[in-house]
Amino acid sequence: MTFGDEKKKKLYAETASLIADMGFRDKLSIEEMNFLLNLLDMVVVKQEQPRLIQTLKNWVNTNKGSEIDEIIKATLVTADFNNPESLEQCLQLVTELLESRGD
Amino acid sequence: MISELPEEYLFDLESEQRVLSSMLHSEDACIETYNLLTASDFYSPRNALLFELSCGLYLREIRPTLVEVLKEGHNLGLFTNPRDIEELKYIAEHYIDDENIKYWIGKVKDKSRLRKFVEFLKASYEILMENQGTDVEQILMSAEEKLTNLTALEIDDHVDGPADMANLGYDEVERRFLRYKSINELNKGLIPLDGLSTGFDNLNHITLGYKPGDLIILGAQTGHGKTAFALHTAKAIAVDSKKNVLYLNTEMSREQIALRWGSILSGIEHERIRAGNINETELSIMLNAYSRLRDSGFYSYPCPNLTPEKTVSIARKFKAQKNIELMIIDYVGRMDKYDPRVPEWQMLEQIVKTQKMLAQNLKIAVMCLVQLNADGTMQGARRMKNECDLMLKLTPIPREDFELSEEIKKYLNPNYYLIIEKNRDGRSGVSIPIVFDLQKQSMKDAERISR
Repeated sequence: MTFGDEKKKKLYAETASLIADMGFRDKLSIEEMNFLLNLLDMVVVKQEQPRLIQTLKNWVNTNKGSEIDEIIKATLVTADFNNPESLEQCLQLVTELLESRGD
Repeated sequence: MISELPEEYLFDLESEQRVLSSMLHSEDACIETYNLLTASDFYSPRNALLFELSCGLYLREIRPTLVEVLKEGHNLGLFTNPRDIEELKYIAEHYIDDENIKYWIGKVKDKSRLRKFVEFLKASYEILMENQGTDVEQILMSAEEKLTNLTALEIDDHVDGPADMANLGYDEVERRFLRYKSINELNKGLIPLDGLSTGFDNLNHITLGYKPGDLIILGAQTGHGKTAFALHTAKAIAVDSKKNVLYLNTEMSREQIALRWGSILSGIEHERIRAGNINETELSIMLNAYSRLRDSGFYSYPCPNLTPEKTVSIARKFKAQKNIELMIIDYVGRMDKYDPRVPEWQMLEQIVKTQKMLAQNLKIAVMCLVQLNADGTMQGARRMKNECDLMLKLTPIPREDFELSEEIKKYLNPNYYLIIEKNRDGRSGVSIPIVFDLQKQSMKDAERISR
Protein backbone atom coordinates (compact mmCIF):
# COMPACT_ATOMS: atom_id res chain seq x y z
CA MET A 1 0.00 0.00 0.00
CA THR A 2 1.50 3.34 -1.01
CA PHE A 3 1.59 6.36 1.25
CA GLY A 4 -0.92 8.06 -1.07
CA ASP A 5 -3.35 5.14 -0.76
CA GLU A 6 -3.08 5.18 3.00
CA LYS A 7 -3.59 8.93 3.13
CA LYS A 8 -6.68 8.64 0.90
CA LYS A 9 -8.14 5.88 3.11
CA LYS A 10 -7.46 7.92 6.22
CA LEU A 11 -9.14 10.96 4.70
CA TYR A 12 -12.14 8.81 3.72
CA ALA A 13 -12.42 7.35 7.25
CA GLU A 14 -12.07 10.81 8.85
CA THR A 15 -14.74 12.29 6.59
CA ALA A 16 -17.16 9.38 7.04
CA SER A 17 -16.86 9.52 10.83
CA LEU A 18 -17.21 13.31 10.87
CA ILE A 19 -20.46 13.11 8.85
CA ALA A 20 -21.83 10.25 10.98
CA ASP A 21 -20.82 12.03 14.18
CA MET A 22 -22.76 15.15 13.11
CA GLY A 23 -25.75 12.95 12.28
CA PHE A 24 -25.62 11.19 15.66
CA ARG A 25 -25.37 14.55 17.45
CA ASP A 26 -28.41 15.86 15.52
CA LYS A 27 -26.39 18.55 13.75
CA LEU A 28 -27.47 16.93 10.47
CA SER A 29 -30.80 15.27 9.73
CA ILE A 30 -30.75 11.51 8.97
CA GLU A 31 -31.49 12.29 5.30
CA GLU A 32 -28.63 14.80 5.12
CA MET A 33 -26.26 12.37 6.82
CA ASN A 34 -27.18 9.53 4.45
CA PHE A 35 -26.85 11.78 1.42
CA LEU A 36 -23.36 12.95 2.42
CA LEU A 37 -22.22 9.42 3.28
CA ASN A 38 -23.51 8.11 -0.06
CA LEU A 39 -21.81 10.96 -1.87
CA LEU A 40 -18.53 10.16 -0.11
CA ASP A 41 -18.72 6.50 -1.22
CA MET A 42 -19.63 7.61 -4.73
CA VAL A 43 -16.59 9.89 -5.00
CA VAL A 44 -13.93 7.89 -3.16
CA VAL A 45 -14.88 4.22 -3.50
CA LYS A 46 -17.07 3.82 -6.57
CA GLN A 47 -15.67 6.82 -8.47
CA GLU A 48 -18.88 7.14 -10.49
CA GLN A 49 -21.30 9.88 -11.53
CA PRO A 50 -18.93 12.75 -12.51
CA ARG A 51 -22.01 14.66 -13.76
CA LEU A 52 -23.55 14.61 -10.29
CA ILE A 53 -20.35 16.01 -8.80
CA GLN A 54 -20.20 18.78 -11.42
CA THR A 55 -23.87 19.69 -10.86
CA LEU A 56 -23.32 19.79 -7.11
CA LYS A 57 -20.28 22.04 -7.55
CA ASN A 58 -22.34 24.41 -9.72
CA TRP A 59 -25.10 24.51 -7.15
CA VAL A 60 -22.85 24.96 -4.11
CA ASN A 61 -21.03 27.88 -5.78
CA THR A 62 -24.27 29.70 -6.55
CA ASN A 63 -26.49 28.69 -3.63
CA LYS A 64 -28.21 31.79 -2.24
CA GLY A 65 -30.61 29.96 0.08
CA SER A 66 -33.59 30.82 -2.13
CA GLU A 67 -36.80 28.79 -2.27
CA ILE A 68 -35.55 26.96 -5.39
CA ASP A 69 -32.30 26.16 -3.57
CA GLU A 70 -34.34 24.61 -0.79
CA ILE A 71 -36.26 22.52 -3.35
CA ILE A 72 -32.95 21.43 -4.93
CA LYS A 73 -31.65 20.36 -1.52
CA ALA A 74 -34.86 18.46 -0.71
CA THR A 75 -34.60 16.70 -4.10
CA LEU A 76 -30.96 15.76 -3.54
CA VAL A 77 -31.26 14.38 -0.03
CA THR A 78 -34.00 11.95 -1.07
CA ALA A 79 -32.03 10.65 -4.07
CA ASP A 80 -31.63 6.87 -4.19
CA PHE A 81 -27.93 6.24 -4.76
CA ASN A 82 -28.46 2.52 -5.27
CA ASN A 83 -30.74 3.07 -8.25
CA PRO A 84 -28.85 4.63 -11.21
CA GLU A 85 -32.07 5.34 -13.11
CA SER A 86 -33.67 7.22 -10.24
CA LEU A 87 -30.40 9.05 -9.57
CA GLU A 88 -30.28 10.13 -13.20
CA GLN A 89 -33.88 11.44 -12.99
CA CYS A 90 -33.01 13.35 -9.82
CA LEU A 91 -29.99 14.87 -11.54
CA GLN A 92 -32.11 15.93 -14.50
CA LEU A 93 -34.59 17.59 -12.16
CA VAL A 94 -31.83 19.44 -10.30
CA THR A 95 -30.34 20.63 -13.61
CA GLU A 96 -33.77 21.96 -14.69
CA LEU A 97 -34.26 23.67 -11.31
CA LEU A 98 -30.82 25.30 -11.60
CA GLU A 99 -31.73 26.53 -15.10
CA SER A 100 -35.11 27.84 -13.93
CA ARG A 101 -33.26 29.81 -11.26
CA GLY A 102 -31.70 31.69 -14.16
CA ASP A 103 -27.98 31.07 -13.37
CA MET B 1 -4.01 -24.94 35.89
CA ILE B 2 -5.98 -24.06 32.76
CA SER B 3 -7.42 -21.03 34.49
CA GLU B 4 -3.85 -19.82 35.11
CA LEU B 5 -3.38 -19.20 31.37
CA PRO B 6 -2.97 -15.48 30.73
CA GLU B 7 -6.20 -14.32 29.10
CA GLU B 8 -4.44 -12.34 26.36
CA TYR B 9 -2.92 -15.62 25.16
CA LEU B 10 -6.38 -16.62 23.95
CA PHE B 11 -7.17 -13.71 21.67
CA ASP B 12 -5.56 -11.28 19.28
CA LEU B 13 -7.63 -8.13 18.90
CA GLU B 14 -5.19 -6.55 16.48
CA SER B 15 -5.60 -9.42 14.00
CA GLU B 16 -9.38 -9.25 14.34
CA GLN B 17 -9.30 -5.51 13.64
CA ARG B 18 -6.98 -5.90 10.66
CA VAL B 19 -9.26 -8.53 9.12
CA LEU B 20 -12.33 -6.34 9.64
CA SER B 21 -10.50 -3.31 8.25
CA SER B 22 -9.55 -5.19 5.11
CA MET B 23 -13.19 -6.24 4.63
CA LEU B 24 -14.10 -2.55 4.67
CA HIS B 25 -11.46 -1.65 2.08
CA SER B 26 -11.29 -4.54 -0.36
CA GLU B 27 -13.83 -6.80 -2.00
CA ASP B 28 -11.27 -9.59 -2.48
CA ALA B 29 -10.48 -9.54 1.23
CA CYS B 30 -14.18 -9.60 1.94
CA ILE B 31 -14.62 -12.76 -0.15
CA GLU B 32 -11.69 -14.49 1.59
CA THR B 33 -12.89 -13.57 5.06
CA TYR B 34 -16.51 -14.49 4.38
CA ASN B 35 -15.42 -17.93 3.23
CA LEU B 36 -12.84 -18.68 5.91
CA LEU B 37 -14.20 -17.18 9.13
CA THR B 38 -17.43 -17.22 11.11
CA ALA B 39 -18.65 -14.76 13.73
CA SER B 40 -17.72 -17.27 16.46
CA ASP B 41 -14.04 -17.01 15.45
CA PHE B 42 -13.95 -13.45 16.83
CA TYR B 43 -13.20 -13.06 20.52
CA SER B 44 -14.64 -9.57 20.84
CA PRO B 45 -18.47 -9.57 20.57
CA ARG B 46 -18.21 -6.11 19.00
CA ASN B 47 -15.88 -7.44 16.29
CA ALA B 48 -18.17 -10.42 15.73
CA LEU B 49 -21.06 -8.00 15.26
CA LEU B 50 -19.11 -5.92 12.72
CA PHE B 51 -18.20 -9.11 10.88
CA GLU B 52 -21.87 -10.11 10.72
CA LEU B 53 -22.91 -6.64 9.56
CA SER B 54 -20.30 -6.72 6.77
CA CYS B 55 -21.27 -10.26 5.69
CA GLY B 56 -24.97 -9.30 5.68
CA LEU B 57 -24.24 -6.40 3.31
CA TYR B 58 -21.96 -8.53 1.15
CA LEU B 59 -24.67 -11.19 0.73
CA ARG B 60 -27.06 -8.46 -0.43
CA GLU B 61 -24.43 -7.48 -3.02
CA ILE B 62 -23.61 -4.25 -1.22
CA ARG B 63 -19.89 -3.74 -0.81
CA PRO B 64 -19.38 -3.33 2.96
CA THR B 65 -17.49 -0.03 2.93
CA LEU B 66 -17.11 2.00 6.11
CA VAL B 67 -20.01 4.18 4.96
CA GLU B 68 -22.32 1.22 4.28
CA VAL B 69 -21.49 -0.42 7.62
CA LEU B 70 -22.13 2.88 9.42
CA LYS B 71 -25.49 3.30 7.69
CA GLU B 72 -26.49 -0.33 8.27
CA GLY B 73 -25.51 -0.23 11.96
CA HIS B 74 -27.41 3.02 12.41
CA ASN B 75 -30.53 1.73 10.62
CA LEU B 76 -30.55 -1.39 12.79
CA GLY B 77 -30.13 0.68 15.93
CA LEU B 78 -26.74 -0.90 16.70
CA PHE B 79 -24.73 2.32 16.43
CA THR B 80 -26.39 5.07 18.40
CA ASN B 81 -23.69 7.18 19.95
CA PRO B 82 -20.56 8.94 18.68
CA ARG B 83 -18.33 6.46 20.55
CA ASP B 84 -19.51 3.71 18.17
CA ILE B 85 -18.29 5.80 15.23
CA GLU B 86 -14.88 6.32 16.82
CA GLU B 87 -14.57 2.58 17.41
CA LEU B 88 -15.44 1.77 13.81
CA LYS B 89 -13.07 4.44 12.51
CA TYR B 90 -10.29 3.02 14.68
CA ILE B 91 -10.87 -0.43 13.15
CA ALA B 92 -11.06 0.97 9.60
CA GLU B 93 -7.62 2.50 10.06
CA HIS B 94 -5.92 -0.88 10.67
CA TYR B 95 -4.92 -0.97 7.00
CA ILE B 96 -3.30 -4.05 5.49
CA ASP B 97 -2.28 -5.01 1.97
CA ASP B 98 -4.67 -7.37 0.21
CA GLU B 99 -2.03 -10.08 -0.21
CA ASN B 100 -1.59 -10.34 3.57
CA ILE B 101 -5.22 -11.10 4.33
CA LYS B 102 -4.71 -14.86 4.64
CA TYR B 103 -1.98 -14.31 7.24
CA TRP B 104 -4.30 -12.25 9.45
CA ILE B 105 -7.25 -14.59 8.92
CA GLY B 106 -4.95 -17.43 9.98
CA LYS B 107 -4.07 -15.61 13.19
CA VAL B 108 -7.75 -15.04 14.05
CA LYS B 109 -8.52 -18.68 13.25
CA ASP B 110 -5.65 -20.00 15.36
CA LYS B 111 -6.77 -18.08 18.43
CA SER B 112 -10.32 -19.27 17.87
CA ARG B 113 -9.14 -22.90 17.75
CA LEU B 114 -7.03 -22.33 20.84
CA ARG B 115 -10.07 -21.10 22.76
CA LYS B 116 -12.01 -24.16 21.63
CA PHE B 117 -9.14 -26.33 22.83
CA VAL B 118 -9.17 -24.66 26.24
CA GLU B 119 -12.94 -25.20 26.45
CA PHE B 120 -12.34 -28.85 25.57
CA LEU B 121 -9.75 -29.19 28.36
CA LYS B 122 -12.05 -27.55 30.89
CA ALA B 123 -15.02 -29.74 29.86
CA SER B 124 -12.85 -32.89 29.97
CA TYR B 125 -11.60 -31.97 33.43
CA GLU B 126 -15.17 -31.45 34.66
CA ILE B 127 -16.28 -34.79 33.20
CA LEU B 128 -13.37 -36.50 34.93
CA MET B 129 -14.20 -34.92 38.28
CA GLU B 130 -17.91 -35.64 38.07
CA ASN B 131 -17.70 -39.25 36.83
CA GLN B 132 -14.84 -40.77 38.78
CA GLY B 133 -16.37 -44.24 38.86
CA THR B 134 -17.36 -44.53 35.20
CA ASP B 135 -15.79 -46.34 32.31
CA VAL B 136 -12.38 -44.80 31.54
CA GLU B 137 -12.42 -46.23 28.03
CA GLN B 138 -15.67 -44.38 27.27
CA ILE B 139 -14.35 -41.08 28.64
CA LEU B 140 -11.18 -41.39 26.56
CA MET B 141 -13.10 -42.33 23.42
CA SER B 142 -15.42 -39.35 23.77
CA ALA B 143 -12.48 -37.01 24.40
CA GLU B 144 -10.61 -38.39 21.43
CA GLU B 145 -13.56 -37.79 19.11
CA LYS B 146 -13.88 -34.18 20.22
CA LEU B 147 -10.14 -33.63 19.88
CA THR B 148 -10.10 -35.17 16.39
CA ASN B 149 -12.82 -32.75 15.30
CA LEU B 150 -10.73 -29.88 16.66
CA THR B 151 -7.50 -30.85 14.95
CA ALA B 152 -8.92 -31.95 11.59
CA LEU B 153 -9.14 -29.46 8.77
CA GLU B 154 -12.50 -27.69 8.78
CA ILE B 155 -13.45 -29.03 5.40
CA ASP B 156 -12.80 -32.63 6.43
CA ASP B 157 -14.04 -32.37 9.98
CA HIS B 158 -16.68 -35.04 9.64
CA VAL B 159 -15.63 -38.62 10.19
CA ASP B 160 -18.15 -41.32 9.29
CA GLY B 161 -18.46 -44.08 11.88
CA PRO B 162 -19.69 -47.56 10.87
CA ALA B 163 -23.29 -46.65 11.74
CA ASP B 164 -23.12 -43.39 9.73
CA MET B 165 -21.80 -45.21 6.69
CA ALA B 166 -24.42 -47.97 6.97
CA ASN B 167 -27.26 -45.44 7.33
CA LEU B 168 -25.96 -43.38 4.44
CA GLY B 169 -25.65 -46.48 2.24
CA TYR B 170 -29.17 -47.72 3.03
CA ASP B 171 -30.73 -44.26 2.54
CA GLU B 172 -29.04 -43.93 -0.85
CA VAL B 173 -30.18 -47.37 -1.99
CA GLU B 174 -33.73 -46.72 -0.75
CA ARG B 175 -33.84 -43.34 -2.52
CA ARG B 176 -32.68 -44.91 -5.77
CA PHE B 177 -35.08 -47.87 -5.38
CA LEU B 178 -38.06 -45.52 -4.91
CA ARG B 179 -36.94 -43.39 -7.81
CA TYR B 180 -36.58 -46.41 -10.06
CA LYS B 181 -40.03 -47.60 -9.04
CA SER B 182 -41.57 -44.22 -9.78
CA ILE B 183 -39.83 -44.16 -13.16
CA ASN B 184 -41.46 -47.40 -14.15
CA GLU B 185 -44.86 -46.59 -12.71
CA LEU B 186 -45.25 -42.88 -13.41
CA ASN B 187 -42.67 -41.55 -15.78
CA LYS B 188 -42.83 -44.30 -18.38
CA GLY B 189 -39.12 -44.99 -18.26
CA LEU B 190 -37.86 -41.40 -18.34
CA ILE B 191 -35.03 -41.17 -15.84
CA PRO B 192 -35.10 -38.15 -13.52
CA LEU B 193 -31.72 -36.50 -13.08
CA ASP B 194 -29.52 -36.51 -10.00
CA GLY B 195 -27.93 -33.20 -10.97
CA LEU B 196 -28.13 -30.49 -13.62
CA SER B 197 -29.26 -31.26 -17.16
CA THR B 198 -26.39 -31.66 -19.63
CA GLY B 199 -28.57 -30.45 -22.52
CA PHE B 200 -28.33 -33.87 -24.22
CA ASP B 201 -30.86 -36.64 -23.44
CA ASN B 202 -28.38 -39.43 -24.15
CA LEU B 203 -25.70 -37.88 -21.94
CA ASN B 204 -28.30 -37.28 -19.20
CA HIS B 205 -29.27 -40.94 -19.43
CA ILE B 206 -25.69 -42.13 -18.89
CA THR B 207 -24.52 -39.55 -16.31
CA LEU B 208 -27.82 -38.58 -14.59
CA GLY B 209 -26.67 -34.98 -14.95
CA TYR B 210 -23.85 -32.82 -13.59
CA LYS B 211 -23.80 -33.21 -9.80
CA PRO B 212 -22.58 -30.86 -7.07
CA GLY B 213 -18.85 -31.45 -6.54
CA ASP B 214 -18.34 -32.75 -10.11
CA LEU B 215 -15.45 -31.57 -12.24
CA ILE B 216 -16.32 -31.94 -15.92
CA ILE B 217 -13.69 -31.56 -18.63
CA LEU B 218 -14.71 -31.00 -22.22
CA GLY B 219 -12.02 -31.11 -24.92
CA ALA B 220 -12.33 -29.98 -28.53
CA GLN B 221 -10.01 -28.65 -31.21
CA THR B 222 -9.96 -24.97 -32.12
CA GLY B 223 -13.12 -23.98 -33.98
CA HIS B 224 -14.87 -27.25 -33.15
CA GLY B 225 -17.53 -26.08 -30.72
CA LYS B 226 -16.03 -25.51 -27.26
CA THR B 227 -17.90 -22.27 -26.69
CA ALA B 228 -21.01 -23.57 -28.46
CA PHE B 229 -20.99 -26.57 -26.10
CA ALA B 230 -20.52 -24.30 -23.07
CA LEU B 231 -23.40 -22.06 -24.06
CA HIS B 232 -25.57 -25.06 -25.00
CA THR B 233 -25.02 -26.38 -21.45
CA ALA B 234 -25.71 -22.91 -20.02
CA LYS B 235 -28.95 -22.75 -22.02
CA ALA B 236 -30.16 -26.11 -20.66
CA ILE B 237 -29.43 -25.08 -17.07
CA ALA B 238 -29.82 -21.29 -16.90
CA VAL B 239 -32.48 -20.65 -19.55
CA ASP B 240 -34.55 -23.86 -19.60
CA SER B 241 -34.23 -24.83 -15.90
CA LYS B 242 -33.74 -21.26 -14.55
CA LYS B 243 -30.82 -22.30 -12.36
CA ASN B 244 -27.84 -20.02 -11.85
CA VAL B 245 -24.71 -20.53 -13.94
CA LEU B 246 -21.48 -18.52 -13.94
CA TYR B 247 -19.67 -18.41 -17.28
CA LEU B 248 -16.03 -17.27 -17.31
CA ASN B 249 -14.73 -16.50 -20.77
CA THR B 250 -11.05 -15.74 -21.33
CA GLU B 251 -11.09 -14.76 -25.00
CA MET B 252 -14.43 -13.29 -26.06
CA SER B 253 -15.83 -9.81 -25.48
CA ARG B 254 -19.20 -9.12 -23.82
CA GLU B 255 -20.67 -8.22 -27.22
CA GLN B 256 -19.48 -11.44 -28.83
CA ILE B 257 -21.02 -13.54 -26.06
CA ALA B 258 -24.30 -11.59 -26.24
CA LEU B 259 -24.49 -12.07 -30.02
CA ARG B 260 -23.86 -15.81 -29.70
CA TRP B 261 -26.84 -16.02 -27.35
CA GLY B 262 -28.97 -14.31 -29.98
CA SER B 263 -28.18 -17.05 -32.44
CA ILE B 264 -28.61 -19.92 -29.96
CA LEU B 265 -31.98 -18.71 -28.69
CA SER B 266 -33.46 -17.51 -31.98
CA GLY B 267 -32.14 -20.20 -34.34
CA ILE B 268 -30.99 -17.48 -36.77
CA GLU B 269 -27.55 -17.87 -38.36
CA HIS B 270 -24.77 -16.25 -36.37
CA GLU B 271 -23.11 -14.70 -39.43
CA ARG B 272 -26.32 -12.89 -40.40
CA ILE B 273 -26.85 -11.61 -36.88
CA ARG B 274 -23.26 -10.34 -36.74
CA ALA B 275 -23.68 -8.52 -40.05
CA GLY B 276 -27.11 -7.16 -39.05
CA ASN B 277 -28.51 -8.92 -42.15
CA ILE B 278 -31.93 -9.81 -40.70
CA ASN B 279 -35.47 -8.68 -41.53
CA GLU B 280 -38.03 -7.09 -39.23
CA THR B 281 -39.77 -10.37 -38.42
CA GLU B 282 -36.42 -11.82 -37.39
CA LEU B 283 -35.69 -8.74 -35.30
CA SER B 284 -38.87 -9.40 -33.35
CA ILE B 285 -37.83 -13.08 -32.97
CA MET B 286 -34.54 -11.79 -31.54
CA LEU B 287 -36.42 -9.64 -29.04
CA ASN B 288 -38.28 -12.73 -27.79
CA ALA B 289 -35.04 -14.69 -27.68
CA TYR B 290 -33.30 -12.09 -25.51
CA SER B 291 -36.31 -11.85 -23.21
CA ARG B 292 -35.70 -15.54 -22.41
CA LEU B 293 -32.10 -14.70 -21.60
CA ARG B 294 -33.27 -11.79 -19.41
CA ASP B 295 -35.34 -14.21 -17.30
CA SER B 296 -32.56 -16.79 -17.05
CA GLY B 297 -29.90 -17.49 -14.41
CA PHE B 298 -26.93 -16.83 -16.74
CA TYR B 299 -24.09 -14.72 -15.32
CA SER B 300 -21.21 -13.90 -17.62
CA TYR B 301 -17.79 -12.76 -16.47
CA PRO B 302 -15.41 -12.02 -19.34
CA CYS B 303 -11.87 -12.00 -17.92
CA PRO B 304 -8.90 -12.15 -20.27
CA ASN B 305 -6.38 -12.35 -17.40
CA LEU B 306 -7.91 -15.25 -15.52
CA THR B 307 -5.72 -17.13 -13.04
CA PRO B 308 -6.60 -20.24 -10.98
CA GLU B 309 -6.63 -18.08 -7.83
CA LYS B 310 -9.02 -15.61 -9.42
CA THR B 311 -11.46 -18.39 -10.39
CA VAL B 312 -11.58 -19.38 -6.71
CA SER B 313 -12.47 -15.91 -5.47
CA ILE B 314 -14.98 -15.26 -8.29
CA ALA B 315 -16.69 -18.62 -7.71
CA ARG B 316 -16.93 -18.02 -3.95
CA LYS B 317 -18.43 -14.58 -4.54
CA PHE B 318 -21.05 -15.86 -6.98
CA LYS B 319 -21.86 -18.88 -4.82
CA ALA B 320 -22.52 -16.60 -1.84
CA GLN B 321 -24.40 -13.90 -3.72
CA LYS B 322 -26.16 -15.78 -6.54
CA ASN B 323 -26.09 -19.39 -5.34
CA ILE B 324 -24.65 -20.64 -8.64
CA GLU B 325 -24.90 -24.37 -9.33
CA LEU B 326 -22.45 -24.56 -12.22
CA MET B 327 -19.33 -22.63 -13.20
CA ILE B 328 -17.97 -22.94 -16.74
CA ILE B 329 -14.39 -21.93 -17.57
CA ASP B 330 -13.98 -21.23 -21.27
CA TYR B 331 -11.12 -22.13 -21.58
CA VAL B 332 -8.25 -23.26 -19.33
CA GLY B 333 -5.47 -23.01 -21.97
CA ARG B 334 -5.96 -19.22 -22.00
CA MET B 335 -5.54 -18.85 -18.26
CA ASP B 336 -2.52 -16.87 -17.06
CA LYS B 337 0.41 -18.84 -15.68
CA TYR B 338 1.24 -18.14 -12.07
CA ASP B 339 4.88 -18.93 -12.94
CA PRO B 340 6.04 -18.64 -16.58
CA ARG B 341 8.74 -21.31 -16.03
CA VAL B 342 6.15 -23.98 -15.23
CA PRO B 343 5.56 -26.34 -18.18
CA GLU B 344 2.10 -26.35 -19.79
CA TRP B 345 1.08 -29.83 -18.55
CA GLN B 346 2.02 -28.97 -14.98
CA MET B 347 -0.02 -25.78 -15.12
CA LEU B 348 -3.06 -27.63 -16.51
CA GLU B 349 -2.73 -30.23 -13.76
CA GLN B 350 -2.62 -27.48 -11.14
CA ILE B 351 -5.68 -25.77 -12.65
CA VAL B 352 -7.82 -28.91 -12.70
CA LYS B 353 -6.79 -29.82 -9.15
CA THR B 354 -7.83 -26.35 -7.96
CA GLN B 355 -11.14 -26.61 -9.80
CA LYS B 356 -11.91 -30.06 -8.37
CA MET B 357 -11.32 -28.77 -4.84
CA LEU B 358 -13.42 -25.72 -5.57
CA ALA B 359 -16.31 -27.84 -6.88
CA GLN B 360 -16.25 -30.01 -3.74
CA ASN B 361 -15.87 -27.14 -1.28
CA LEU B 362 -18.64 -25.02 -2.80
CA LYS B 363 -20.80 -28.01 -3.74
CA ILE B 364 -21.20 -26.82 -7.32
CA ALA B 365 -20.37 -28.45 -10.64
CA VAL B 366 -17.37 -26.98 -12.47
CA MET B 367 -16.87 -27.42 -16.20
CA CYS B 368 -13.45 -26.72 -17.73
CA LEU B 369 -13.07 -26.46 -21.48
CA VAL B 370 -9.68 -27.54 -22.84
CA GLN B 371 -8.13 -27.50 -26.27
CA LEU B 372 -7.30 -30.72 -28.08
CA ASN B 373 -4.09 -31.06 -30.07
CA ALA B 374 -4.32 -31.40 -33.85
CA ASP B 375 -4.15 -35.22 -33.52
CA GLY B 376 -7.14 -35.21 -31.14
CA THR B 377 -5.08 -35.85 -28.01
CA MET B 378 -5.24 -33.71 -24.91
CA GLN B 379 -2.22 -32.12 -23.25
CA GLY B 380 -1.74 -33.52 -19.73
CA ALA B 381 -4.70 -35.83 -20.44
CA ARG B 382 -3.76 -38.60 -18.01
CA ARG B 383 -3.41 -36.27 -15.05
CA MET B 384 -6.59 -34.39 -15.91
CA LYS B 385 -8.43 -37.68 -16.26
CA ASN B 386 -7.37 -38.63 -12.72
CA GLU B 387 -8.83 -35.47 -11.24
CA CYS B 388 -12.10 -35.15 -13.12
CA ASP B 389 -15.41 -36.95 -12.67
CA LEU B 390 -16.50 -36.71 -16.28
CA MET B 391 -14.25 -36.27 -19.30
CA LEU B 392 -15.87 -35.52 -22.63
CA LYS B 393 -14.45 -34.98 -26.11
CA LEU B 394 -16.23 -33.22 -28.92
CA THR B 395 -14.92 -34.30 -32.30
CA PRO B 396 -16.20 -34.47 -35.91
CA ILE B 397 -17.36 -37.93 -36.98
CA PRO B 398 -14.60 -39.40 -39.21
CA ARG B 399 -15.54 -39.92 -42.85
CA GLU B 400 -14.88 -43.68 -42.66
CA ASP B 401 -17.48 -44.02 -39.92
CA PHE B 402 -20.16 -42.76 -42.30
CA GLU B 403 -19.10 -45.40 -44.82
CA LEU B 404 -18.35 -48.32 -42.54
CA SER B 405 -20.31 -47.95 -39.32
CA GLU B 406 -23.76 -49.50 -39.37
CA GLU B 407 -24.55 -47.78 -36.08
CA ILE B 408 -24.03 -44.24 -37.38
CA LYS B 409 -26.38 -44.92 -40.30
CA LYS B 410 -29.21 -45.29 -37.77
CA TYR B 411 -29.07 -41.55 -37.00
CA LEU B 412 -30.41 -38.55 -38.89
CA ASN B 413 -27.60 -36.19 -40.04
CA PRO B 414 -25.13 -36.61 -37.16
CA ASN B 415 -21.86 -34.77 -37.69
CA TYR B 416 -20.08 -34.85 -34.30
CA TYR B 417 -19.35 -37.39 -31.61
CA LEU B 418 -19.62 -36.51 -27.96
CA ILE B 419 -17.25 -39.10 -26.52
CA ILE B 420 -17.40 -40.07 -22.84
CA GLU B 421 -13.75 -40.76 -22.03
CA LYS B 422 -14.30 -41.09 -18.29
CA ASN B 423 -17.42 -41.27 -16.15
CA ARG B 424 -16.85 -41.84 -12.45
CA ASP B 425 -20.48 -42.85 -11.83
CA GLY B 426 -21.29 -44.92 -14.87
CA ARG B 427 -20.47 -46.12 -18.35
CA SER B 428 -17.55 -44.65 -20.28
CA GLY B 429 -16.03 -45.25 -23.70
CA VAL B 430 -19.35 -44.31 -25.32
CA SER B 431 -19.61 -42.11 -28.42
CA ILE B 432 -22.88 -40.17 -28.66
CA PRO B 433 -23.72 -38.91 -32.16
CA ILE B 434 -24.93 -35.32 -32.09
CA VAL B 435 -25.86 -32.61 -34.59
CA PHE B 436 -23.78 -29.45 -34.31
CA ASP B 437 -25.02 -26.55 -36.42
CA LEU B 438 -22.03 -24.23 -36.55
CA GLN B 439 -24.01 -21.43 -38.20
CA LYS B 440 -26.79 -21.42 -35.61
CA GLN B 441 -24.38 -22.34 -32.80
CA SER B 442 -26.81 -25.04 -31.75
CA MET B 443 -26.30 -28.63 -30.64
CA LYS B 444 -28.72 -31.51 -30.10
CA ASP B 445 -28.85 -35.29 -29.85
CA ALA B 446 -28.91 -36.88 -33.30
CA GLU B 447 -32.33 -38.40 -33.92
CA ARG B 448 -32.51 -42.18 -34.33
CA ILE B 449 -34.22 -43.17 -37.57
CA SER B 450 -34.22 -46.96 -37.31
CA ARG B 451 -33.64 -49.72 -34.79
